[in-house]
Amino acid sequence: MTEPTRYADRPEWSDVLPVEQYENANPLAPIFYTNEYKDATNYFRGIIKTGEKSQRVLELTEHIIRLNPAHYTAWQYRYETLLAIDSNLEDELQLMDELAITHLKTYQVWHHRRLLMLKIRKPAAELVFIAKTFKVDAKNYHTWSYRQWLLAYFNDDELWGGELDFVEDLLYADIRNNSAWHHRFFTVFQSGVHDGEENRERVLKRELIYVKQSISLVPNNASAWNYIRGILEHHSIPYSRVTTFVQPYTLSMDEQTADLVDLDNPPPSKGAHLPCAFAIEFFADIYEAEGGDSMLKATELWKSLGNEYDIARKKYWEHRIREGLRAIQT
Amino acid sequence: MVQIDDNYPTPTSVTQRSTVALLVKPSPPSSSSESTPIQSGILDTNLHLGYLGRHLLQGLPARYTSQDASQPWLLFWSLQSLSLLKVELDQRNKTKAAEGILAMQNSTEGGFGGGPGQAAHLLPTYAAVCSLAIVGAPDPSTPDLESPWTLIDRRALYMFFLSLKHPDGSFRVSSNGEVDVRGVYCLLAVAKLLNMMTEELIKGTRDWVRGCQTYEGGFASAAIGIGEGQWAPLGEAHGGYTFCALAAWVLLELDFPSSSAEKKVNLKNLRRWLVQMQGGEDELCGFRGRTNKLVDGCYSWWVGGCFELLDILEGRDGARKEDVIWNPEGLQEYILYAAQHPAGGLRDKPPKQVLHTRNSYMYHTLYNLAGLSTAQYACQSRPTSTSASTLTPSSDSLDPTSSRSSSEAPSLASSTSASSTQAQPSSTPRTTPSSPTPSALTLNATDPLFNLTKTHAEAMIKWFREPGREVYW
Repeated sequence: MTEPTRYADRPEWSDVLPVEQYENANPLAPIFYTNEYKDATNYFRGIIKTGEKSQRVLELTEHIIRLNPAHYTAWQYRYETLLAIDSNLEDELQLMDELAITHLKTYQVWHHRRLLMLKIRKPAAELVFIAKTFKVDAKNYHTWSYRQWLLAYFNDDELWGGELDFVEDLLYADIRNNSAWHHRFFTVFQSGVHDGEENRERVLKRELIYVKQSISLVPNNASAWNYIRGILEHHSIPYSRVTTFVQPYTLSMDEQTADLVDLDNPPPSKGAHLPCAFAIEFFADIYEAEGGDSMLKATELWKSLGNEYDIARKKYWEHRIREGLRAIQT
Repeated sequence: MVQIDDNYPTPTSVTQRSTVALLVKPSPPSSSSESTPIQSGILDTNLHLGYLGRHLLQGLPARYTSQDASQPWLLFWSLQSLSLLKVELDQRNKTKAAEGILAMQNSTEGGFGGGPGQAAHLLPTYAAVCSLAIVGAPDPSTPDLESPWTLIDRRALYMFFLSLKHPDGSFRVSSNGEVDVRGVYCLLAVAKLLNMMTEELIKGTRDWVRGCQTYEGGFASAAIGIGEGQWAPLGEAHGGYTFCALAAWVLLELDFPSSSAEKKVNLKNLRRWLVQMQGGEDELCGFRGRTNKLVDGCYSWWVGGCFELLDILEGRDGARKEDVIWNPEGLQEYILYAAQHPAGGLRDKPPKQVLHTRNSYMYHTLYNLAGLSTAQYACQSRPTSTSASTLTPSSDSLDPTSSRSSSEAPSLASSTSASSTQAQPSSTPRTTPSSPTPSALTLNATDPLFNLTKTHAEAMIKWFREPGREVYW
């Protein structure tokens, strides 16, 4: 692999005075940069000093970004340069398509896109691009928060229209993808009421059935239990609303009695590992909310979690027992 | 609990299964005298000191170019790791470190940058000020004028902070930069250390931080207003952001307690989410950062450190055993068995194959050690005063190019023998909590608000509050 010609050897850069990083060359924890990186950043510091904003600054910053995509100063200076020389931002976005895939986990590649989008204002195509990147990493945090920002910021019914199907596809591919569950909550409950979702009672019912069926298929899925807790709390509905559904999941496979199909209360799948600790926890919460004598039933369940079904969290369950008993004493 | 796949494998459960297979306690060689400290689950202090000293004094390999915009962080991670291990630099290297950091305060913008000549940014500003807390304390025998602390331009820093503020109470991390809760935490921690907390600065911030809490109980990276005082969190609950949000919340509550009418963080949901992040025995009780993701050594601090923040918020002074709601004994097993790298430093998790290298990083070294410190703190009451021995370079020549090939670790001025500097996992609760076994190294306590030793944090806070040091903005 040949290294690109150094800026120091390129006549078209001879008017720039390179600036070394350190005035005295003896810092603690120095990084052993490659010559290529040292050369490029020396010239970048020279450019910053004169404040030049030009086409060649775009080349230089792209070079640095490819060597170190976390160089936020290069990104920042690049953005200012794009605006200063009235560069074509759609071309820039195209370049970003490539960089985003290569450097998926870098804050700056996603933030730069956001700055561009604030000027270009074409969010629909962005949603398509994001969907592509999820094929590489379906849980990438920056990508998800960028998608949520796009939706909430532009807040256009056309944009929201495809989100539920989009989430369903991702959950179909991996029912344990918590990023997708969070996106579902964000889309349905936390971003206002979208077109076709005006009947909130119906929406709530739909979501309850969705999450129950998901739990029925894979009971030991923390994401789904967090979702059902989340939607009940969001609507201030007591957990006891779903007692009938949860109860079989607190029992062992041998103790299952349901043989008729109840669409509101789908039973655990045949392959399920039971009893399910999340269900026992949920049931204890139902008892705790009832208070009074039920609190003792709750403490029994917490004890069973600490001693048998969720030993790793023993201290937490003991804490719940103490808090529960304190509540009925006062 | 995710390891139970209900006979329904998906990408998440398949990755989980293969990771669990890596998380085994190493079996010691047949002859017990040959087992290494790591095989025995002992913190190999000298190995890690060698790693830290080598990087600090000789330099960092080229792969650290990705951290070129995080130079104050590289210093902070290594200096604070040394502090936790009860070692400090000699005065000459402290001065050198402080001079390097002060050269990173951007004279035009006011904040510190990721390196000399880089743009000011909230994250390196935190790392720079915390590093100065470790190496810049005024020497009682010399006049204050010579202390690096006097050279921090606080007025410029304050103006920088204000320039980043959004009307909704949040802050950009830099000019045109992203908004997230890391930046808000870094800003508040620095404002607290340098006595710059004002109503003007923090107006609206509390509500924005609260808006980052998700339905799961942990916090997201940021929040966007959706009208009528409602917030939508951007991203799912995450260990790193949760630490930043909770620490920010506690810093605000300490200086500007919220009224009873104001909305609060949901602590019950937060506690539940935090304990759910801890893995079971088969994951050596490490912490994950999000629901249904893998355990990683850095969350030992980002999640493990949150419990001490809750102690502060809820007015518990020190750890009483019955107040501990997580498994600190278990976490020590993860850090000591899975996170120690045989070549020094600590890592996120063991490599996929024996011959496959998985580097340790300065970042993971600090956050594993800080997690170990908080775990020890939760297991036993212990003194919180800082003690330290001195780390000196083996040679005066620190020219990175000439010392690059040298693998020699810097010598330690202290004469601590290996046997007196080893920490073992306390797998059973100690019966006499105040007297650890002679062979156990208790790390220095770290103040969860800053991740500085209490001595360093308190000294800086006190110094900037002394009469005559007020800055009128």
